[in-house]
Amino acid sequence: MPLRRRGSDVDWSILLAQATINGLIVGLLYLLMAVGFTLVFGVMRMVNFAHGEFYMLGAFGAYFLTTQAGLSFLPAVALTFALAVVGGAVLEWGVLKPFRRDELNGMIATIGLAMILQNLALMFFGPDPLSMPAVARGTARLDKLVIPLSRVYVVAFALLALALLYGFLRHSRPGRALRAVVEDFEIAAIQGIRSRIYYPLGFGLGVGLAAVAGALMAPLFSVSPFVGATPLLKAFIVVILGGLGSIPGAAVAGLALGLAESYGSLLFESSTADMLIFAIVIVMLVVRPKGLLGRGEA
Amino acid sequence: MRNPIILAGLLALAALPAAQAQETLKLGALVTLSGAGAAWGQGMKNAAEVAADQVNEAGGLEVGGKKYRVQVVAYDDKYQANEAVTVANRLVFEDKVRYIVGPVGSAPVLAIQPMTEKNKVILLTLGFTAKALAAEKPYTFRPNVTTAEVSQPQIDWFVKAQGLRKVGALFPNDETGQQIALDLEAAYKKAGATLSTKEFFERDRVDFVPLLTRMMARGIDAIELDGNSPATAGLIVKQARELGFEGRIVRTGGPATQEIVNVAGKQATEGMLVHTPIDPELPATKAYAERYAAKYKHPMNGFSPAFYDGTLMLFEAMRRAGTVEDTERVRVEMEKLDGFEGSLGKLSWTGHALYGIDHQLNAPFYVAEVKDGREVIRARCTVEGCR
Repeated sequence: MPLRRRGSDVDWSILLAQATINGLIVGLLYLLMAVGFTLVFGVMRMVNFAHGEFYMLGAFGAYFLTTQAGLSFLPAVALTFALAVVGGAVLEWGVLKPFRRDELNGMIATIGLAMILQNLALMFFGPDPLSMPAVARGTARLDKLVIPLSRVYVVAFALLALALLYGFLRHSRPGRALRAVVEDFEIAAIQGIRSRIYYPLGFGLGVGLAAVAGALMAPLFSVSPFVGATPLLKAFIVVILGGLGSIPGAAVAGLALGLAESYGSLLFESSTADMLIFAIVIVMLVVRPKGLLGRGEA
Repeated sequence: MRNPIILAGLLALAALPAAQAQETLKLGALVTLSGAGAAWGQGMKNAAEVAADQVNEAGGLEVGGKKYRVQVVAYDDKYQANEAVTVANRLVFEDKVRYIVGPVGSAPVLAIQPMTEKNKVILLTLGFTAKALAAEKPYTFRPNVTTAEVSQPQIDWFVKAQGLRKVGALFPNDETGQQIALDLEAAYKKAGATLSTKEFFERDRVDFVPLLTRMMARGIDAIELDGNSPATAGLIVKQARELGFEGRIVRTGGPATQEIVNVAGKQATEGMLVHTPIDPELPATKAYAERYAAKYKHPMNGFSPAFYDGTLMLFEAMRRAGTVEDTERVRVEMEKLDGFEGSLGKLSWTGHALYGIDHQLNAPFYVAEVKDGREVIRARCTVEGCR
């Protein structure tokens, strides 16, 4: 057997299946994070370093709406999304407008925005981690496989969010216009697509997806002003692997990253697995810098 | 003078220098105020502030005929060695601080010691590593008991009273985690059980499901949480229970119960067995907890009283040395303190056998069971054993 032996009492087929499920669940959440990140880049040519902080605000939004306002989980996530889209659009219009299509200054502006948001959260919510009650208790069992029910719910909601996004981008008029802006800003402008609307919309939508990811993950992990750093890093890895600005690329790479991490930590020490992910990223940057499905403008 | 208000103002200005004749003693707090270790760092910084308030309310700290107002200067080391070095330099060379409460982590304390020892800056550190205390590091003290002191008596009790055979544990992959893994492995072996599964992970990890899946597949009776920051330990408890783990969850060292309950919820933490350095029923401890809660509006972390006591002992050593400038004399007086009445009980120094220097505080500790999110004392311990 090529796998590392860990004693005869371990059933490898079960463990592999379990790792696949865990990997797909986590991958789906990475996907949600990375799609928003890459959408903002596609529309504005802006690397949004504040993306992780919007994830954090989404987590707080869901936390306060469920525990303080007494909403149930799904409406809380929906409301968080709506607030984030509006808030993101207003921020774009009010703060980031001068940095549209200005990669370097835009990057610096979003780093500043990230610091401001994190410290505001620290001032208002304090440094202590908060616990959001689980969406569901108990486990779903498929033969010997165990899936926490709370994760089943989260996956269902994540799929729902992605399906809505797909429908919006694919079939609605503003969605198609947004894709046109991502494809080629100038041609889109010539066709009469108004950037005045689509910059704030694109940024708001990207931010909204980060907030939804945060809201969905809040009951699985904890809620604190510092939770945004890890998802931001994962979103970076995903878009580097998938190609900056490419939504299908982010989808493929998000799931692949989740699976690679899960198999990695099954077969190796978890620190080794983390190193392996970065090795893959380095190889990707050397061999195919535009990413899996990128268009080679990087 | 026409305007009586201006006159009053001038009078107040004239009186000001007299009020400020009191000198200021700066106490550094180099602790973790953000990220996973923030709960400990906050508890330590707040302990120093409560102790400072106490002497300031009494008119200041009287040393060698002078009264000093104590001021706490706090910086965040983010639980990172490089950050700790930066802010330690700032404290010592710019703020001219001679006494530092902190750092929280093992790597940070080892990183700043070459500078603090050379400049005779007294440290009160939390760092769990055995290397933090040594005969050639005479300016470092540790006011909290560590795994090396508490693990054996508690593990003997866990294994005997709970019948544990195979224990699994997850550790952060750094100085603290590696050290605690070694200590625990030896302690469980000595108690007649095994630490059968060990996993190391990077400190910022939040998803433990893959690691827990692998651990549970190998069959374990209990999960040991020692060595993990409060927030991380809470996530491990939450995710282990979500995966259907039904065994015991124990935490041999590092008080973190309040934070674990905050993260994991009351249901997931029910029945968890934890180390606690405080008996909330002890009058002196209760008094400190109340003072802390009144000032900060949230319950204190279990490490906090140790640092309150440590700071008060430091003040007492300054009084006896008759100086705040000569840290060498303060250190010698600090070492001589014996039977000091602190919020934890009667305190003295120990550690010569383990570290080659008596700079480890000798304080009582306890095993508690978590019931409805609160600690209920199950056994009382000393270094000799638990009952």
